[in-house]
Amino acid sequence: MSNAVWQTPEAVRRLAKRHAAERRFRLLGLSAIVLSLAFLALLLVIMLENGLGGLDWQFLTGSDSTNADLAGVWGAAKGSLLTMLVTLVLSFPMGVLSAVYLEEFAPRARWIEWIEVSINNLAAVPSIIFGLLGLAVFINTLGMPRSSPLVGGLTLALMTMPVIVISGRNAIKAVPPSIRDAALAVGASKVQTVFHHVVPLALPGILTGTIIGMARALGETAPLLMIGMRAFVVTPPGGITDPSSVLPMQIFLWSDEIDKAFVQNTSAAIIVLLVFLLAMNGLAIYLRNKFEVRW
Amino acid sequence: MILTGVLLAVVGLGLVGWFAARGRARLLYTGRGSMHSMPSYHGWHMALWIIVPALLAWMAWSFMMPGLVDGAVLASPAAAQFPPDAMSRAAILSEARTVASNPNAAVFNPLSATLAEPMRAAQQRFGLIGGLIVLIVALAGGGYGLTRVRAGFPARTQVERAVLGVLLLASLMAILTTFGIVASLLFEAGLFFKDVSPIAFLTGTHWAPGNAGGENISDNFGAVPLFWGTIYIGAIIAMLVAIPLGLMSAIYLTQYASSKVRKLLKPMLEILAGIPTVVYGYFAALSVAPMMRDFAASIGMANPSTESALAAGMVMGVMIIPFVSSMADDSLAAVPRAMSDGSLALGATRSETIKRVLLPAALPGIVAGVMLAISRAIGETMIVVMAAGAAARLSLNPFDSMTTVTYQIVQLLTGDQEFNSPKTLSAFALGLVLFIVTLILNIIALRVVKRFREAYE
Repeated sequence: MSNAVWQTPEAVRRLAKRHAAERRFRLLGLSAIVLSLAFLALLLVIMLENGLGGLDWQFLTGSDSTNADLAGVWGAAKGSLLTMLVTLVLSFPMGVLSAVYLEEFAPRARWIEWIEVSINNLAAVPSIIFGLLGLAVFINTLGMPRSSPLVGGLTLALMTMPVIVISGRNAIKAVPPSIRDAALAVGASKVQTVFHHVVPLALPGILTGTIIGMARALGETAPLLMIGMRAFVVTPPGGITDPSSVLPMQIFLWSDEIDKAFVQNTSAAIIVLLVFLLAMNGLAIYLRNKFEVRW
Repeated sequence: MILTGVLLAVVGLGLVGWFAARGRARLLYTGRGSMHSMPSYHGWHMALWIIVPALLAWMAWSFMMPGLVDGAVLASPAAAQFPPDAMSRAAILSEARTVASNPNAAVFNPLSATLAEPMRAAQQRFGLIGGLIVLIVALAGGGYGLTRVRAGFPARTQVERAVLGVLLLASLMAILTTFGIVASLLFEAGLFFKDVSPIAFLTGTHWAPGNAGGENISDNFGAVPLFWGTIYIGAIIAMLVAIPLGLMSAIYLTQYASSKVRKLLKPMLEILAGIPTVVYGYFAALSVAPMMRDFAASIGMANPSTESALAAGMVMGVMIIPFVSSMADDSLAAVPRAMSDGSLALGATRSETIKRVLLPAALPGIVAGVMLAISRAIGETMIVVMAAGAAARLSLNPFDSMTTVTYQIVQLLTGDQEFNSPKTLSAFALGLVLFIVTLILNIIALRVVKRFREAYE
């Protein structure tokens, strides 16, 4: 009798309906992912299709030019390189030291909370706001040279630092307390414990976060637009105070050209930029897998 | 020039001091417990005493030197025929400074050419004096450091105190940056609001900074169309794309996919977040916008524009997908296992459990994630700059070209106008509004996430 209730035609039909709904929902989820990835694939395919033809030696070693055939990406790439150098030199030590302080030494106090709140907020402030800061402070108040990798690097360093601090704190937090206790127990001071044992163990995590932050900075355009890094630069910059352009900016400038021939250049420059980013992210994943310690 | 060389010399001296102090400290070692600190800490203590005071002196001197040089040049006989007013004096002086450092620089005022020589001489002289002062300070610091190398001297505690000071300074950078952002935005926006009333700016509907000026200047700075464009593109169109796709992706990945599939698909989805925005912008302008235009034409719209809110919003939505997805992922994972197990045990199917139990339980976290996503979308710049257009209009038609706050900031600041016109200053006022809105969204969202986590712990 009790079995029979579940096998009436009506119950069977209701169950089939519910299972059909289940399948539909599952399919919906799958199609959401497939759609997102299809968009990614479309983007990559269009860029490859337009740009692969333009990738040759002339393009990789040349600098900007009004003639699409002669224009190349090296000037902008060198600008990016110098800018990233300034960013790394400033934001890495600052970020690591600040993460160490907040995680290991900071007293429980009101003003420490302020630091934490402002770091979390800085990580979410729109990048264009950092550009406004760079324009108002570095260029208009301190009179640093406009469109130079120096100012660009400074601005991006302020933007990258919170990312490094947050990932650095997580990496330091992951080092088990027993390591610290062991060092302290054999007579090391607090500073020695942190710099001889905790930081080296946390370094792979910190480096991964740094590389991800740098990759974000490398693709950033909006703040650099604010500080005028859109110079038309025919010769690659020689130093960090020369006017220069960066890779994403070069893409933006070429995308504005009316000449159809620049479509190929723009796509080719995008391929170069994406290859750089892919390499950096690959390095981050490699570092994480190679050196990550599961405690 | 001289001062840079002096800086290198100071660093060299520091190195020498490090080795010297360590060497002396080693001689003091007579056995276990005979010294308070290891010899290398004596080295560091010495190096710090050489470098830090010298660096401070160097900074003070580089700050003072331009004033001293200008004073010396003005006192020179060549400056006797200067115009009396301060403005042109400063202009000539700064021109002379450029000529002094680069003889080929263009000269507008013949006076500055004659001043170049005295200028260079004065720079040389004061540079030498400054260099000497810095070196003396370094040597004095080193001398003091050397007298401290004694067996009982607590060099390690001293050095560690200095290290802690450096750490503290580094963490204060974050507050300094926040302060710098707020101060610079408030200052420049304050200058703007001297000319334009804040009420007209926040409630006006006519945006035309190009022909602003004279009496009715406030009438041309009504920012409502920009706010509307920003909300329409970033908070409506982009979210219509990102929320369903991101949420469903997260549900599939966390509830249905096997761990193998999940490990493969999740990083691929995250690639979407790593692509630079300028690439999305170019993609929107090159492929999506023409598609939208053709689509608009095919459904019978007259003269659809290439730059449409829809193209920019859609591409922005795709960019946000991984963000929404990972936020939803976190909130779904925070729901206790027992809740979904209970529902499944009662005979509900997976999808029924997800819809009736998991999603309602995870809703606060998901809403907070959407708020963070909106704050990210409205601050996004390159996509709208390349695909959304410049026309400030209040329109509901997604195929219209619309402009946003970020687009206008870029537009206002990349021209070649003088810095203090209301036109450029209005960019900072827009930046201030953007900063405040994103800040509020972030603070609320982070608070919701925190409370939500606590509720289930």
